[in-house]
Amino acid sequence: MTPPGPQVRKWYQSLNAEDARRMTTAAGGGIVLAVMTGPDGSLTQPLYGFQQSVLTAHVIGYLLFGLVIGCLLTYRAKVKDGTWRRVRTAPKRTLVERLTSIKSALQRGMLAGSGLLSAVIAIVVADFTGPVARNKMSWHVLGHQFLYTRTYGYLILAIALWFAVVNQIFHLTNLRIQSLPRTVVAAGALLSILVFSLTSDPFLPARFGWKALNPSANNSLFHHWTTYLWLILGALGTASYLFKRRSSPKIAAPRRSRTLVVTPSMRILTYVAAGFLVYEAPKYLSLYWQISLYQQIGVFCLLAIGLNIVVGFAGLLDLGYVAFYALGAYVTAYFSGGLPLQPPFHLNSFLVIPFAVVIAMLAGVLLGLPTLRLRGDYLAIVTLGFGEIIYVLANDWVTVTGGSAGTGTISGFSVNLLGIHYVWNPSNPLSYYYLMIGILIPAIFLFDFLNHSKVGRSWAAIREDEVAAQSLGINALKYKVMAFSMGASTAGVAGVFTAVKVGVLFPNSFVLSLSITILVLVIFGGMGSILGVLIGAIFLQWLPSYLTFHSYFGYQQTDLYLYIGALLVIMMIFRPQGLIPSRRRRREILDSEAGLGSADSLGPITQEQPS
Amino acid sequence: MFNYLVQGIFAGLIFSMVALGYTLVYGVLRLINFAHSEVLMTGGFAGYFFLHYTIGSGSVPNSLWVTMLYIVVGVLISGLAGTIVAIIIERFAYRPLRRRNAPKLAYLISAIGASYFLLSLFGKEFGRYPSGTSQPFTDHVVFTLWGGQFTMYDIVILVAAVILMVTVDVVVSRTKMGRAIRAVAQDAETASLMGVNVNRTIASTFALGGFMGGAAGFFVAINQGIYFGMGFKPALLAFTAAVLGGIGNVRGAMIGGVVLGIVMFTPIYWFGQPWLEEVIAFSILVLILLFRPTGLLGERLGRSA
Repeated sequence: MTPPGPQVRKWYQSLNAEDARRMTTAAGGGIVLAVMTGPDGSLTQPLYGFQQSVLTAHVIGYLLFGLVIGCLLTYRAKVKDGTWRRVRTAPKRTLVERLTSIKSALQRGMLAGSGLLSAVIAIVVADFTGPVARNKMSWHVLGHQFLYTRTYGYLILAIALWFAVVNQIFHLTNLRIQSLPRTVVAAGALLSILVFSLTSDPFLPARFGWKALNPSANNSLFHHWTTYLWLILGALGTASYLFKRRSSPKIAAPRRSRTLVVTPSMRILTYVAAGFLVYEAPKYLSLYWQISLYQQIGVFCLLAIGLNIVVGFAGLLDLGYVAFYALGAYVTAYFSGGLPLQPPFHLNSFLVIPFAVVIAMLAGVLLGLPTLRLRGDYLAIVTLGFGEIIYVLANDWVTVTGGSAGTGTISGFSVNLLGIHYVWNPSNPLSYYYLMIGILIPAIFLFDFLNHSKVGRSWAAIREDEVAAQSLGINALKYKVMAFSMGASTAGVAGVFTAVKVGVLFPNSFVLSLSITILVLVIFGGMGSILGVLIGAIFLQWLPSYLTFHSYFGYQQTDLYLYIGALLVIMMIFRPQGLIPSRRRRREILDSEAGLGSADSLGPITQEQPS
Repeated sequence: MFNYLVQGIFAGLIFSMVALGYTLVYGVLRLINFAHSEVLMTGGFAGYFFLHYTIGSGSVPNSLWVTMLYIVVGVLISGLAGTIVAIIIERFAYRPLRRRNAPKLAYLISAIGASYFLLSLFGKEFGRYPSGTSQPFTDHVVFTLWGGQFTMYDIVILVAAVILMVTVDVVVSRTKMGRAIRAVAQDAETASLMGVNVNRTIASTFALGGFMGGAAGFFVAINQGIYFGMGFKPALLAFTAAVLGGIGNVRGAMIGGVVLGIVMFTPIYWFGQPWLEEVIAFSILVLILLFRPTGLLGERLGRSA
């Protein structure tokens, strides 16, 4: 029975030019993605890359992906502005009743069509993530996918997807079919995640032997941490689904608050669990991941929470952040006698840390004072110039820095105090990892404390309205320079840690684009939220290593900045507050978009003219 | 020493051309366009491909008229490529944010993201190694004045830069488009009430700056060859030039570029270390900000060119 109304329009009649624009953009994005993942070209064959990525079957999967995203965006926008409504008035029926009640040819066609579509999507996904990264979508390779058990994992996912699609279609077309019973969905999700975790590993054929389930075997499922990752993700997803359904009220009631009430016991439990995980988990990783846990993830977490002070807390932009990192590293080299310029005395690397902090901080103050006095946005380009200068000095000032040939060896960390002798051995990455944790955790708590102290409140006041803050007696310049130099000194400490582990420094490890990498870590997780930045940094530093390791998606390390650049633009357009935003920062950005106050301390967009 | 001075002047002309893009966009939007370096890079690549497919690796044309034709068409193609890229940047990295009235930080981050995206895309599609460009003329010293050598490049760059900059100056100060740009720079809201299409004016500002940036890219390409990161350094120096001349000030950007070139290159005569030039330029930027933040000619955000 159609609901009575003056005009009952079909769902497609409410589409307009805005939706067409959205779909075009999404499809265009899919094509750009195809170019990004396609093969490289060269100057002699400038069109090769485009031809091989856009004019071949390579583009199909990405175009499909773009179109799916476009449909989802359109659906979300339409539901949001109330043009489309989900109607739930039908009585509850069991799954069997529901499936037998589907009578008309239209419905059957829709069911079959959506099932086919999701199966195709699954096979395409299996293909793209499969071991054959090039020459995608040829029938030969597609057929090959069925030899790998992983494809069946994706097919299971496809079935889940199909149910979802069917549900959506029926809601959309008002066929009044209820969503599936909770228990069925939950069981299905768990099962499919289990199969997915079993099958998503590229080294699969061995997984279904008896060895796979034998915990003591070297190649066991339980030795591979992706298994746990998938299981945790699946459990979380299932749990959130269950709780969401259970809480949906039958009668009009005030919307349940989505904020979780954190009791002290929960907090302590979380800390203990996180601590246990942080302490215990790395032991089970392979050497490759242990090294990258320190080098790729630990150091970059430190850098990211340092930059978060500048970008997130103070609302400034620092594009030459890597310069302070380089300063810290070269100061360490100097005090170990690794530079052509000899120091007056040699220092244990632990004792270099205060020097690195002070020197980086001084550089920050010297750079920040003249620049920030004037206009916040000049800081971005001044730091960009500073980063380039530091690189040029490291590369060309041979008599001091050793130039592009690199520095001499840098002594590692060691303790020889009160009868304790311990030398950190570079061949044991875990010892460095624990040291890094030892400095990272205090830093996190310190910065969090700072953000909730008078200093943090002053930063927030300056971000939101600089003029008002100054009229209340807050010295804006002081707090901005403070944030900038604190970020700088954090980078200095990270520099010491890198120098000590690497042993020899080359200018090429401090190129300016590294600053952009660190910036994206901060932006992705959510500027201003330490938890968000940490999670973002861990994820974004882990992902390229993982993709390189397994050569999924035809990913190449050389294309890293292509993805980073695109990610920055997309984040700024769709979600400037980041994935796990700090509540205050999110509100500031939304408020400033509505014309209330500002969300950074770069100075007002419309400025009084100097006369 | 006079030789370094001459070098500085002609390097400075390139900075002036690029600086115009910064100063125009800053005048209208109050934003540093971090993606402007990629406009220069695109111009350079367009110039490379034009010369590669017309002259190729064959002989350098020896007729003056043919050379001039190559240069004029090359500048136009490079400038057009720069214009297109600048408009694309405005369309995808700026306009969605402007529609939402995003905070300033978001624009800067989105522009730097667009810059890295374009840079890596060119590196991916056209190879990551630097390459020389086919030459439309043979470079030689034309005449020497007080020890300063004036080469063929210098003369070509001088003539082209003067023509282009005079054109921009006329466009900004005389034409309807220029009047719209100045009106938006002064007060966008009032300008839109007066019937100025703000979005189109901003796009045309990007286009104008993009044309100059692309044309500058052509000269950088024939002089130093191409590379996907070729835009970074000239663009950084050009921003310094824009600040030196007074940001938002079109004539200031022109003069600032030449002054920066002279101040950067002349000290090499005494120090003898070519890499010092960037250190000097950067110190100049910090010193201007410290002592005369409005630049040589003063900031003119929105007042007549």
